[in-house]
Amino acid sequence: MSSETYLEPADSRPSPADRLHIAGLDRSLPMDGAVLSVRDLNVRFNTENGLVHAVRGVDFDLMPGKTLGIVGESGSGKSVTSLAIMGLLPTTADVSGSVMLKGKELLGLNDKAMCAYRGNDIAMVFQDPLSSLTPVYTVGAQITEALTIHNPTMSKQAKEARAVELLSMVGIPSPKDRLRAFPHEFSGGMRQRVMIAIAIANNPRVLVADEPTTALDVTIQAQVLEVLHTAQEETGAAVVMITHDLGVVAGMADDIMVMYAGKPVETGGVDDIYYNPRMPYTMGLLGAVPRVDVAEKASLVPIEGIPPNLVRTPTGCSFAPRCPLVSEACLNGEPALAPVPGGALHRAACIKSASLGADVDVHEVFSAPPRPESRFDLIPREERRAVLQLKDVRKHFPLTKGALLKRRIGTVKAVDGLSFDIREGECFSIVGESGSGKTTTLLEIMEFHSDQDGEVVIGGISNKDAADAKTKSAMRKELQMVFQDPTGALDPRFTVYEVLAEPLQNAGLAKPAIRKRIMELMELVGLQPDHVNRFPNQFSGGQRQRVGIARALAVNPRLVVLDEPVSALDVSVQAGVINLLDKLRAELGLSYLLVAHDLSVVRHISNRVAVMYLGKIVEIGEVDRVFDNPRHPYTRALLSAIPVPDPHLERTRERIILQGDLPSPLEAPKGCNFATRCPVFAALPAAKKEQCLTLEPPLEYDPPSAAAQALEAGPVPAPDQQFACFFPDGELDEDMLVVHETADHDAP
Amino acid sequence: MTNLNAVDAAAVAEEAHLQNADVVIGKSTIIFRRFMRNKTAVAGLVVFLGLTVFSFVGGFFTPWDKETIDPFNIAMPPSGEHFLGTSQAGIDLYAMTVEGTRISILIGLIVGLVSVLIAAVYGCTMAYFGGKVDKVMLFVLEALIMMPALLVVAVATSGGGAGLKRDLPSWLLLIIVLLVFSWMGTARLIRSLSMSLMQRDYVKAAQYMGVPPRRIVWRHLVPNIGSLLVLDITRGVTGAVLAEVAFSFIGIGIKVPDVSLGVLIGSATSQVQTFPWMFWVPLTVMFLLTGSLAMMNDGLRDAFDPSSSSIGSARKNSAKKKQA
Repeated sequence: MSSETYLEPADSRPSPADRLHIAGLDRSLPMDGAVLSVRDLNVRFNTENGLVHAVRGVDFDLMPGKTLGIVGESGSGKSVTSLAIMGLLPTTADVSGSVMLKGKELLGLNDKAMCAYRGNDIAMVFQDPLSSLTPVYTVGAQITEALTIHNPTMSKQAKEARAVELLSMVGIPSPKDRLRAFPHEFSGGMRQRVMIAIAIANNPRVLVADEPTTALDVTIQAQVLEVLHTAQEETGAAVVMITHDLGVVAGMADDIMVMYAGKPVETGGVDDIYYNPRMPYTMGLLGAVPRVDVAEKASLVPIEGIPPNLVRTPTGCSFAPRCPLVSEACLNGEPALAPVPGGALHRAACIKSASLGADVDVHEVFSAPPRPESRFDLIPREERRAVLQLKDVRKHFPLTKGALLKRRIGTVKAVDGLSFDIREGECFSIVGESGSGKTTTLLEIMEFHSDQDGEVVIGGISNKDAADAKTKSAMRKELQMVFQDPTGALDPRFTVYEVLAEPLQNAGLAKPAIRKRIMELMELVGLQPDHVNRFPNQFSGGQRQRVGIARALAVNPRLVVLDEPVSALDVSVQAGVINLLDKLRAELGLSYLLVAHDLSVVRHISNRVAVMYLGKIVEIGEVDRVFDNPRHPYTRALLSAIPVPDPHLERTRERIILQGDLPSPLEAPKGCNFATRCPVFAALPAAKKEQCLTLEPPLEYDPPSAAAQALEAGPVPAPDQQFACFFPDGELDEDMLVVHETADHDAP
Repeated sequence: MTNLNAVDAAAVAEEAHLQNADVVIGKSTIIFRRFMRNKTAVAGLVVFLGLTVFSFVGGFFTPWDKETIDPFNIAMPPSGEHFLGTSQAGIDLYAMTVEGTRISILIGLIVGLVSVLIAAVYGCTMAYFGGKVDKVMLFVLEALIMMPALLVVAVATSGGGAGLKRDLPSWLLLIIVLLVFSWMGTARLIRSLSMSLMQRDYVKAAQYMGVPPRRIVWRHLVPNIGSLLVLDITRGVTGAVLAEVAFSFIGIGIKVPDVSLGVLIGSATSQVQTFPWMFWVPLTVMFLLTGSLAMMNDGLRDAFDPSSSSIGSARKNSAKKKQA
C-alpha cells in the first residue's frame, strides 16, 4: 500500500527525532527492536451494500515503552485495526497483511494459538468498563483467571498476592478486601481500573487501549489516564491508544497516526501533528475542537460532508470530496504517505503537504463562518426578560429497602434547592459529573407540574398555575427539547415530514400551513427541503441532529433545552452543529439551557454556566469569569481534568486529580458536600476542617477585597460569579496534584 | 433573516454523497433479502402457500365432497376413484382433507392475527399509562392466564353454550374461545417491550410536545414493535393450529359435520392398524402445515434480528470473486 519509492532517511544518531518511529512505512522488514510491527494490514467485511474495505493498508512500528495514538472519526477503521491486531475480528472478516509481535507473525493464527499471546504479551483495555467485566464473578476471580491461564504453575497464594499488588497499582483503596467484591460494587472508573489491572497482569509488551476513557466523566477520565500512565511506567509496555479525542492523546502519546477512510493519512511525532499539520484533514480535526482554555470565541471549523463509503475503492484522494483545497490533481489516484519537507519522520498523504504548514490559518482554509451576533448581546442582561426561572426546586427520591415491607433508609437528593434564571437570547449551561443532578434538573423543568417542590416559571407562567391543559400547552409552546442521541430521538418509522409535522399538527395548524412551515424549518437548519420524504436512517448523525433541532424549533419556542446535543457526534460534525446552534441563537433570539459534560463545548457556546455537584450549584456565573478564575475547588478540578489538544501544555500543566468517585447518596457528607474529595480541604489545618464538615457553605458573591474597595472608594458592583466555598483561596493538597514533566517524554 | 434561506453547504455535500453511493437501502428490502437468503424459510413459505392454495382449489379435482357417501367404496384404500381412499362411512378422504386443511388454516390465521392485534393494543396501553391502569389491566390478564382454558373450551363447545352453538358454526365458536385464551402471553411480552420503548427519546419528545397519549400509543409504540408482532403472528398461527388439532382430537373442538385436521386425526386413531391411510394422511398434512410455519419463523427471526449473521462471510465472497 505504501509507496516504495521514498527512501528512509539514514538517521541513526541519538536525537530527539529518534523517538519518532512510526517510520518504517516503506520497509518490508520490521524495524529493529520494534515490539509490534504492522505491515499492509487490510480488513474487509461483507455488508448488505457489498464488500466494505474497512482498513486499507496500515503500517506502523511500535517501540518498547512508547505510546502510539491512533486518531480518527468513527468509521475510519481505528477500532477494526486494533481488533485485527488482537485477532478478535469475527471469522467472517477477511484480514490480510502482517502483524509481528516480537518478530512472530500473529495473523493467520487460529484462536487457540492466539490465546497464548492475548492477555500475555499483548493485552487490551476496552471502551465500556460496564460490560467488559463478568457480573457473576468477583473482581479477584477475574484477575486471577488472567494469571492462571498464562501461569498454570503459579501457586494460589502467589496469585492472590499478585492480584492485590495489581489492584493497588491501579489505585484501588484497600485492595485486599476489594478482591472479593463484585463488579457492580465498583463505579465505572473503578471498573476501568480493574480492566487495566487485568490487562497488565502478565506484564504485556503491548497494551492496546480502545477509547479507554470515552465512557467516563472528565474527572474520572483524568484518573484513568493517570493509571494508564503508571501502568505503562511499571510494566514498560508499549501502548496503542485509540481515541477520537485529540486532547486525550496530546499528553500521552509519543507518536500519532491520523486515520481516514481506513488509511493512515498523516503520521508523525506528537508535536509535528499538533503544531505543524500537513494534511487538510488533520488541520480540520484540530480546528473543529473547541478549546476550554481559550476565551476568544471564533466559529469552529466544520469539515463538510461525511467520510466516503468504503464499498467502493476511492479513485482519488479519499478526503477530496470534503477538502476545501481540492484540485484536479487530487482526483487522480490516492496519494501515498510521503515525508513532508522539514520533518524527517513526519509523513502526510497529501499532494499539497509542502505548501501547508504551521503558518496556514485553518479558519481561512476551511472558510469557517463568522461568529454571529445576537441582537440581545447589546442589551445588558438585567434588562432582558427572563424566559425560565427556577426557585428552590428540589427533587428527593426515597431510598427504600426490603421486598415486602419497605423501610426508608435514606433520601437521594438528586436536586437540592436549585435557583437560577435564563434571560432572553442567552445560553445557560449546567456542567458536572454524572450523578450530579443535571439530567434530573432538566426533567424537573420539562415535566413541570403543580405539585412540584419549588417553582418553575416558564415564559412568565408558574408551574403552580399549570392546572388546566390550556396553561400547560401554553407553557409547552415556550419550551422544547433537543436530545442527546439523534438516532433515538427520531422515530425510525417516521419520515422527516412526519417527524416535523407532529408538533405542528398538535398545535392545530392546517395542512398547507404545516407544509410551508416544514419547508422553512428544513432551510433553517441547513437541510435540503426535498429530503422531507426520507427516513431518519437515511441520514448521517449530524443531519439527524439537525432534524431534531428543526423539530424543537417547529412551534417557535423561546427556550430550547439541549441535553448533550453534540456528545454523540464526531468532532468534525459536532463543529457544524455547534455553529448552527450559535447561528440560530443569534438570528431567532433563542435562549438555550445546555447540559453537557464537555466543558470545551460549554465554554464555546454559553454565556453563563452553573457547576453542579450532588444536586447543588457550587459555582455559577459568567462563563469566562468562571472558567478563567474558578473559585470553587471542584470547578478548579473539573477544569484541570480536561485534556487540551496541545501537547506542550498538556505535559507541563498542573493537574488536580480528584480522589475517588462521587460519594454514594447514603453517606452524603453533612457540611460541605465536596469535603470528601476536596483538594483544599485535605490541605486545611484541623481547626478549619471543622467548619467545612459542620456548616454548609452558602452560594455567595465573592466579597470584593478591601484593597479594591479602597481603590474604588465605594461599593463595587459584584461581578457575575457566585460560589459555595469557605476557603476559595486555600492551598491545594500536594498529593492530588500531578505534573508530567517534559523530560519524562523527551528522554532518549 | 434573509440568509436563513441559504442551504448549508455541508448538507449539500452529504446529500451528494448519499445519492452517489447506494447507502440508502430500505429496511423492508434488507429484511426481504435476508429472508430470501434463508433457504429453509423460503421452502417453508412455499409449502405453506402451496397448502393454502391446495385447501381452496383442491376440491375441484375430485367429484366427491365431504358429505356424499359412496356406498360402493367403504373403508377402501387409495384408488383411482378415491385418491386417498375412503372412511368407514364411505366418505372421500381427499375431499375431507381439503376441507379440514382449509378450516385449520382459517382458524390458525384468524386466531394468530387477531390475538396478536389484541395483545399489541392491550400491552401498549398498559405500558404507556402505567400506574393504576397498568395494575388493573395486569390483574385481568393474570386472571385470564389462571383460568383453565381446556374446561372453558369444553363447556363452550359442548354443553354450556347451547345458545351460541345454535347461531354459530363450531369452527367460529372455537376461534372465539381460542382468541380469548391466546393473547395474554404476547400481551405481557409486548408490555415489557413497550416499557423500554417508552424510555426512548422520541416518545419523550412527543410527550414534551404535548401529543395526546392515544396518538403516541398508536403512532409510536405499535409500529415500533412491528418485527416482534410479525414473529408472534407466525408463532400464534402455529399455536392455534396445534390447539385446534388437540381440542378436536379429544373431542371438544370442531364438531361433525364440520371437519378439520384434528377431527380427522382424532377419529382415525383407533384404526391406525386397520386403516392406516385414515391416520397418516391428515397427520402428514398437519405436520407440513406446522412445520412450514416453524421453518418460516426461523427465517423471519434471521431477517429481523440485526445481529444475525445472514450476511455471510467476506472471506468466502472474496475467494469467489478471485475464482471468477
